[in-house]
Amino acid sequence: MRIALRVVGYGLLAAAIVLLPFTLGEFRVTQFTYVGVFAIALMGLSILTGITGQISLGHGGFMAVGAYVTAILSVNHDVPDLLTIPLGGLVAGVVGFLFGFPALRLAGVYLALATFALAVIVPSVASAAGSFTGGTAGILLDLPTSPIGRLTPDKWLYFVTWGIAAALFVLALIFLRGKRGRALRAVRESELAAVSSGISLANYKTLAFGVSAFYAGIAGSLYAILNFIVTPGTFPVTLSILLLAGLVIGGAGSLLGVLAGAAFVEFLPLYAGDVLRPVINAGQRLGFPVNDVDPTTPGVPSVVYGAILLIVLIAMPNGAAGLVRRVGALTKQVYSRQNPSESRVTP
Amino acid sequence: MMKRFFVVAAIVAAALTAAIPGALARPAADPGVSSRSITIGTTLPLSGPASLYARIGTGMRTYFSYINARRARDGKRGVYGRQIVLKIYDDQYSEAQTVQQTRRAVEQDRVFAMLGGLGTENQQAVRAYMNQRRVPQLYVSTGLSEFGRTHRQFPWTIGWQPDYVQEGILLGRYVRQNLPNAKVAVLRQNDDYGKEFVEGFVKGAGQRFIAATETYPRNGGATVIPGPVARLRASGADTFLVVATPTESITALVVAYRLGWRPNKLVNSVGATRQFMAAAQASAGSAEAVNGVVTTTYLKDVASPRYARDAQVRLYKRLMDKYAPSQNAEDQLFFYGMAKADTFVQALYRAGRNPSRASLMNAARNLKMRSAWLLPGARIQTSRASAFPIRHQRLTRYNNGSFTEFGSLVKTR
Repeated sequence: MRIALRVVGYGLLAAAIVLLPFTLGEFRVTQFTYVGVFAIALMGLSILTGITGQISLGHGGFMAVGAYVTAILSVNHDVPDLLTIPLGGLVAGVVGFLFGFPALRLAGVYLALATFALAVIVPSVASAAGSFTGGTAGILLDLPTSPIGRLTPDKWLYFVTWGIAAALFVLALIFLRGKRGRALRAVRESELAAVSSGISLANYKTLAFGVSAFYAGIAGSLYAILNFIVTPGTFPVTLSILLLAGLVIGGAGSLLGVLAGAAFVEFLPLYAGDVLRPVINAGQRLGFPVNDVDPTTPGVPSVVYGAILLIVLIAMPNGAAGLVRRVGALTKQVYSRQNPSESRVTP
Repeated sequence: MMKRFFVVAAIVAAALTAAIPGALARPAADPGVSSRSITIGTTLPLSGPASLYARIGTGMRTYFSYINARRARDGKRGVYGRQIVLKIYDDQYSEAQTVQQTRRAVEQDRVFAMLGGLGTENQQAVRAYMNQRRVPQLYVSTGLSEFGRTHRQFPWTIGWQPDYVQEGILLGRYVRQNLPNAKVAVLRQNDDYGKEFVEGFVKGAGQRFIAATETYPRNGGATVIPGPVARLRASGADTFLVVATPTESITALVVAYRLGWRPNKLVNSVGATRQFMAAAQASAGSAEAVNGVVTTTYLKDVASPRYARDAQVRLYKRLMDKYAPSQNAEDQLFFYGMAKADTFVQALYRAGRNPSRASLMNAARNLKMRSAWLLPGARIQTSRASAFPIRHQRLTRYNNGSFTEFGSLVKTR
């Protein structure tokens, strides 16, 4: 029964994702493609931070690596852009794996700082590398095209992205099964206990970094194709922070959480400024002196953005997935109060 | 647990498929135009280090408010009775955001055209897209000459202000003629904009004048400036050329002063409005930090006593008082935005009573008119062969709170 429900649930979700682009305008389709890209990056981050307990403020850097691989190969070496996606993932994965070694010696805040350095360094290296990476002007890719006449380029990229996301999701489930999954979780819970149970920290931490960066690299490649430009400015430090915020807000370690977090990463920066207009209108109706606030004043979007982040974190300390769980627990409470016999069954 | 997952998945599925916005909008030939209004968009940094430029958007919007409210010669408000609606999108000066916001404007908000999008790389990033879509990318707010030179390859794109090469040439000539023994230290943004400006400068002055060059990363903010300025000072140069956006150019002047360096100062026009000079002076605590700065100009200076009685500047001040009373009308960036908005309005009139994207682009590419926003004697002129609307410039020097133009009006292209 439970498995059947779960299968139906995933089926419905998959059906919604497949049908979605046919009900939306073209820009919304593209936006949900970005959501798919960020979902892939967040799956990777979830493996590293949510499962293995290693914080990363540098995933924007891994995304940049994947994006540059795609841009350089497709523009300078005429490799079809879709073929560059796995390569972007692999190169980023190797970088992540290597980064796992210094990370072995670090924990907590120090690891956060080290990964943060990565987010700062990758764009700087890219802008200093001159003709290889196009410097600060970056590399312009061709506009996306669709090999299938019936699908517009927007829809084509949407299906490519979500197809890859689905495959990577299954891959993550397989990766986290059995002994390996337990070992990674053990590293998160207590390194000391993990080591005493015969788990090699070096192996599992570098593995987690590598796999996580692989996901970020794939996301970066797709991001490059979608954006049709890669510059150092495409991957600002704030992107890395936003990704981690997305993971926290979505709730680390759950599929629905990853989707919610990805939607957050995509939509909040674009609409932070717009949220203010209705707030001002409401304020004026209530008689607050807010006439002078213009949502297009410099700085206002950033303030709104920060405020939303705070509100969300206060309202949902365990992320969107945690909120769902809480609402679920509430309905269960109400339900069991109405059917006392039920409550006795639950321990 | 599983049941809840199922419920949530079902809700998500229902919510996603129920959302049916813009998809069913009518497939009009040219979006953004109705019988009552014309909707256009612009991308500007409203947040981040470059957000001082947001004032350009306020200037444009203010002018459109005026055009929408006043009665034109045909007795109608707006342009041929259509109200102009300007949507401003925040791109944080980041190309990735510019791409998304531009797509949002074109695909979702269905704007008729984009006007005055800011930033060299930002506008390069969306240029291919705008041309593929055949949406006018009008009067981009960057002086990169490429936007004027590549009009055959990108017929839907056009710049506005004098390009950086020409600006550089003018400053270069000034150095050659007035400071024949100058040793010039260059601080520039490390991108096409900075590169091109210095190329123009070298063309106007000669390579032998350049003593040292330092670059700073784009969108770097104030913190990336002190190091390079200190190195330039150490080079022993006596002339300081600053090719930088506002925050960075202000910081450069302040840091040079604090280091006790007193060179001749040349600043590119995008970083040298009266407002920025005043900010640098306040920060340095001395007028000496900014007095004597030489830059180029192509618009009337709203703060200069020279134009205090000028009809256009007075109109500008009246509009600022009426539509943007909380803003400082002495800031040249508002004037820049208004002047640009006016060029758009004139092009829109010439695009006909029922404008299409093609007719608007055609009008913008064949615009010959006097403009009272420009320096006296200057004209806006584009043709089949040339896509550089503004080409007349003059040198101007800052001293004790205002700029004074000097030299003759030069047409540099």
